[in-house]
Amino acid sequence: MSTTAPVLSTFQDESNFEFEKYEKKQQDRGYLNPDWKDETHLFENLKNYYSINELADHLSQRDDQNSPKFKKITLQFPDSLVADSAIVSQLLSEALRKYQIDVQPKAESQTEKKHTQERSLSISCSGCECSDCNCSDKFDSKEGLNEQEVWILADTAYSACCIDEVAAEHVGGDVVVHLGDACLNAIQKLNAVYVFGKPYLDIELVVKQFKETYPATDSKVVLMADAPNSRYLSELYSKLKQSYKEIAYLDISLEKAHNSKIIDHSPTIFTSSNTIRISNRLLISDSKLEEDELINYSLFHITEPQPPHLLYLSTKFASISLYDPSSNTINQGPFPSLMKRYRYMHIARTAGTIGILVNTLSLRNTSLIINEVSKNIKEAAKKYYMFVVGKPNVAKLANFESIDCWCILGCGQGGIIVDTNNEFYKPIITPYELEMSLNPTVSWTGKWDVDFENLLNVQENNENQESLISEDNDGNSPTLEGEDEAPEFDPVTGKYISTSRPLRNIHHLEIESTSNNEENQLVKKFSTTVAIKGTVSTSATYLQNRKWTGLGSDFLNDEEYDEEGALVEEGRGGVARSYDFDVKDQQSK
Amino acid sequence: MRSLMDKVTNVRNMSVIAHVDHGKSTLTDSLVQKAGIISAAKAGEARFMDTRKDEQERGITIKSTAISLYSEVEDEDVKDIKQKTEGNQFLINLIDSPGHVDFSSEVTAALRVTDGALVVVDCVEGVCVQTETVLRQSLGERIKPVVIINKVDRALLELQVEKEDLYQSFSRTVESVNVIIATYVDPVLGDVQVYPERGTVAFGSGLHGWAFTVRQFATRYSKKFGVDRSKMMERLWGDSYFNPKTKKWTNKDKDADGKPLERAFNMFVLDPIFRLFSSIMNFKKDEIPVLLEKLEINLKSDEKDLEGKALLKVVMKKFLPAADALLEMIVIHLPSPVTAQNYRADTLYEGPSDDKACLAIKACDPKADLMLYVSKMVPTSDKGRFYAFGRVFAGTVKSGQKVRIQGPNYIPGKKDDLFVKAIQRVVLMMGRFVEPIDDCPAGNIIGLVGIDQFLLKSGTLTTDETAHNLKVMKFSVSPVVEVAVDVKNASDLPKLVEGLKRLSKSDPCVLTKMSESGEHIVAATGELHLEICLQDLENDHAGIPLKISPPVVSYRETVEAESSITALSKSPNKHNRLYLKAEPLDEEVSLAIESGKVSPKDDFKARARILADEFGWDVTDARKIWCFGPEGNGPNVVVDQTKAVQYLAEIKDSVVSGFAWASAAGPILEENLRSVRVNILDVTLHADSIHRGAGQILPTMRRATYAAILLATPRIQEPVFLVEIQCPESAVGGIYSVLNKKRGQVVSEEQRPGTPLFTVKAYLPVNESFGFTGELRQATGGQAFPQMIFDHWASLTTDPLDPTTKAGEIVTAARKRHGLKEVVPGYEEYYDKL
Repeated sequence: MSTTAPVLSTFQDESNFEFEKYEKKQQDRGYLNPDWKDETHLFENLKNYYSINELADHLSQRDDQNSPKFKKITLQFPDSLVADSAIVSQLLSEALRKYQIDVQPKAESQTEKKHTQERSLSISCSGCECSDCNCSDKFDSKEGLNEQEVWILADTAYSACCIDEVAAEHVGGDVVVHLGDACLNAIQKLNAVYVFGKPYLDIELVVKQFKETYPATDSKVVLMADAPNSRYLSELYSKLKQSYKEIAYLDISLEKAHNSKIIDHSPTIFTSSNTIRISNRLLISDSKLEEDELINYSLFHITEPQPPHLLYLSTKFASISLYDPSSNTINQGPFPSLMKRYRYMHIARTAGTIGILVNTLSLRNTSLIINEVSKNIKEAAKKYYMFVVGKPNVAKLANFESIDCWCILGCGQGGIIVDTNNEFYKPIITPYELEMSLNPTVSWTGKWDVDFENLLNVQENNENQESLISEDNDGNSPTLEGEDEAPEFDPVTGKYISTSRPLRNIHHLEIESTSNNEENQLVKKFSTTVAIKGTVSTSATYLQNRKWTGLGSDFLNDEEYDEEGALVEEGRGGVARSYDFDVKDQQSK
Repeated sequence: MRSLMDKVTNVRNMSVIAHVDHGKSTLTDSLVQKAGIISAAKAGEARFMDTRKDEQERGITIKSTAISLYSEVEDEDVKDIKQKTEGNQFLINLIDSPGHVDFSSEVTAALRVTDGALVVVDCVEGVCVQTETVLRQSLGERIKPVVIINKVDRALLELQVEKEDLYQSFSRTVESVNVIIATYVDPVLGDVQVYPERGTVAFGSGLHGWAFTVRQFATRYSKKFGVDRSKMMERLWGDSYFNPKTKKWTNKDKDADGKPLERAFNMFVLDPIFRLFSSIMNFKKDEIPVLLEKLEINLKSDEKDLEGKALLKVVMKKFLPAADALLEMIVIHLPSPVTAQNYRADTLYEGPSDDKACLAIKACDPKADLMLYVSKMVPTSDKGRFYAFGRVFAGTVKSGQKVRIQGPNYIPGKKDDLFVKAIQRVVLMMGRFVEPIDDCPAGNIIGLVGIDQFLLKSGTLTTDETAHNLKVMKFSVSPVVEVAVDVKNASDLPKLVEGLKRLSKSDPCVLTKMSESGEHIVAATGELHLEICLQDLENDHAGIPLKISPPVVSYRETVEAESSITALSKSPNKHNRLYLKAEPLDEEVSLAIESGKVSPKDDFKARARILADEFGWDVTDARKIWCFGPEGNGPNVVVDQTKAVQYLAEIKDSVVSGFAWASAAGPILEENLRSVRVNILDVTLHADSIHRGAGQILPTMRRATYAAILLATPRIQEPVFLVEIQCPESAVGGIYSVLNKKRGQVVSEEQRPGTPLFTVKAYLPVNESFGFTGELRQATGGQAFPQMIFDHWASLTTDPLDPTTKAGEIVTAARKRHGLKEVVPGYEEYYDKL
């Protein structure tokens, strides 16, 4: 009998547990004019880039009592711009103070000296990339005597294009200033201010690339850009209009986001005759266009949209060319294909357990959609579990092995995971796709609809129709007592799936009662019961099929297993990020 | 007929099997005619068992069709039956099966529910590739064969052979059948070789409706000579001669004076037939009536006016009715269910051979719990519904009876793939008609109504809760030819999906699935099979216009060598590491896994024994096979070679899932892996269980497997057909040139003795087989017809990662189709540095 615990197979040195370090401290700010690379003008440049003055102008609004309308201002940066956060907040508070002095010179003397609280509020640290914390040393802002506080919201949990209301509410923010590219989706209640920034774009180069991409002057092309670059579209349009007759462009529309304001960006005033909307954009064109004609048009997009948005655009246009301003190149695909979604839709049809993955907390109607989706899943006799996992990634989702299919609720521009590299263990679909897959008959529209409002409308219509149908359709072959429902055919594998509706007709599941008290084993009871609190638990069923069922189960088949066991020894101590032996290793060095 | 079913000893379940065009359906007609279902005039032409329109048009059988026939045998014959019988009334459940290799799965399904097989061999073409395949299958299922050598009329009329030549040809054919039987026979079956002198071989012509066995002639002559029939039978075959002068039998072909003697078979059996043929075909009007009288054949007045072939047909049909010969052979020599199930039970049943269900099968007990195997689904006239066609092995199936329906994946004690449902109706299958009956006892073949929605292709029905499944059928063919189908109108999509479901039901072997890129795929065994399936899908099952892509082949990903370095992948949190190496699995092992000889269901110790003894594995390794993949039973394995890794058992499930994922879609073109063995060399795990959960291990196992494969000289495998071509010598050159052009490899070329026909066997990549038949026909002036059957997987020797090679081209095309980046990612993508 061995008295020692088995040795760990691999020697664990500190390389296992080395903390990740960032080598580069300098951020490459490619979005600024290359001529401004000089660091000395950085503050000036950023002030200009983010239109700080205009922003301060807007934020310094006062209400009737002459107190600031927005007392707590929160700044939200996408990961790519977070390096600027400290500078921007410094610039902004400086600018705001100026207003304060201008507007309310007396107030200054009255107010006590107060520290501006510049703090980065961290909601969750997983995958946090805000590394520039040291910047905040630069301005200890002793001079800040402010009734207006500026906060930086770090590490937006979900899509960076959306307003992170929850983070703002942590500090009770009155307004969220969203910097960089945005989806402009409607949010629940907060005020929002968008600052897209003014990225550098060489229009002449774009025109040249455009002409190379579309040599035929009668090409039907629609121009589009991410929000920051949209400012150049009208200029680009007028330049190209000279040689190309059938082009149009898509400019930002603020229709959906009514309690928000865009700083330093004036959308083209559109004539009421043209009201073709593509998500948050409006089509602007000299010639009149019908919506169904768009499918004959190609799309020329400046910068690469996020995968879900790209997928959406690919369903709307004949072809897509992406222009990358930093490398001045054109990318024409391959882009994610909608046909793959068709496959996922079928997988969802036969999925027994669906995981609802809530990937937004701020979008309007989120809770309505959650209710709707869960109700529909239940009606289809499938099981659902709801998840909020922060930023979803492969590992997090793969932890829940019993989920057959995920349904993600998120912003259509960046909050939906489009698994382009087949990395995720189980398919991830949108509520719209789930809706289709829960239909009794197979349906496929080839559309990509991620708008919650549309979805709710569709469902309302469906319900109206269904109530009409259900009256005369009472099931063609009523199931008799003690018989089972037929399994479902899965076109993906070509097999019958009997587990697609775990909540339906569960006669032969034989849920055992716990009255059997002869054996005092908790584990035993659990392993024969698939019901928890009166409902079928597909997870419990799944766990029963696992080989490893807990401590000691791995010894059961081991012939050399010694009943007596080993002596208890002191094990490893500490937490994952540094165990006691790591500490020892460090010290010995 | 229903009362006969109870007398199980008088039931014969048999299938008719043969190479394509050797005359199964035509022969079957004779039997059907005997039972009075079709008129005598039509027998031989009606092809009653070909129930589908396209079968009639093409003149080939596509689906196997069953019929129950009633027959009476003379009391004297009953005495010769060596198994228990009651009375002289017999029920014959007969299944006519297709001969084209593409439809071999239909044969498999037919064989499962029968106990005996009538093997039809063309007397001119002899034993062909499909004859061998079906014989092998039937022996594997422990099914007893009897043989009929068919198309003797062709030999007589077209080839004008002499008696001795014909005898030699017969005896050669019988011999080659026996060679095959000897090769594949299961010792449990005993001696199942066929002997003309014992009456297990018949000779005849299905088209003309006549056939005979040596026994029949022996019966005639035994009366005449007053000799015992069994003695006579032995004398009428082989080296047995009759000296007419001395009236003595001898085994020397010369008499005392050295004069040649005529072989008894030629003299007593062939001579009357030859005389009839020559006199009728040469229009010797005066000879004919004499002959007829001598042979006791009475013609009706209108028949007397006939001449030539028509007269020959009538005369031969009267002289030697095919049905009599066949019935005699079937009834006397094929086993009854009682006899057969006794030795078949072990191979039929998955569970232990001494449990209740198995014993009931052995006894063919109609009072035991029901054990019924549904071997295929037969479309009803009611669109979209099917009869479940199968055999009652134990118990009695009744209309309205509530049964447990166990699908192929059912495991006793588990709830997966198990349904309880009442059988609506029990029917007898009569070719294109059905006859409802109330119940059906063990040993019979029946159709069931009302359970089709629960079974896709096959399954077990039982009333015993502890019963295991009856063994799932293994097919000799695989669906390796694929097309993508799509609807022309988007609104037809639901119909397509429903159609695909019905298609999968209606054919035992067709596979419908969806590609990674979302296309509906129909996979079939060959071009003809595919054509029939698509036609059915478009016209019947879906009933909508379809867009069909050109056929493509499914490939497999494999490795050639051991991984050059250990593949290491770290989990997303970097706290766990997997160290793997991939190496090729021996082809024999892969085949053993694919055939079910080595299976994940086996006890691991027994499996390790087989792997060590037969395939030279290390016993420790063999015991530590963690899983098979894809789908838990594919020809790839994960072997645990780690030493004392803490928490290892805990991650096993995640590793298994990860490997299932990786092996279903490999790194090169997202195809299944094949013949890959992954060795887990070492594992480092985080001490906290939350940091080594499924989310950390599962994707890492996939990445590590990919890295290990890419480091182990990855290759792709393509399916290869065995092609058999029969043709005259003049066409051989043409065959060679076409084969050369198509990367074909000739295996053998031989002349069939006694005929001018050559048989060429070659390997042909499936990828090159599209249009092969047409080109061959062109190159040989229509004289050569190939039979192609899936034979094996062959690795392409070129590097699939280099887009300029043949393999690389295939990979690039496939990746494009799947919507992947055209360049295969390097191992670095999946490999982590320490």
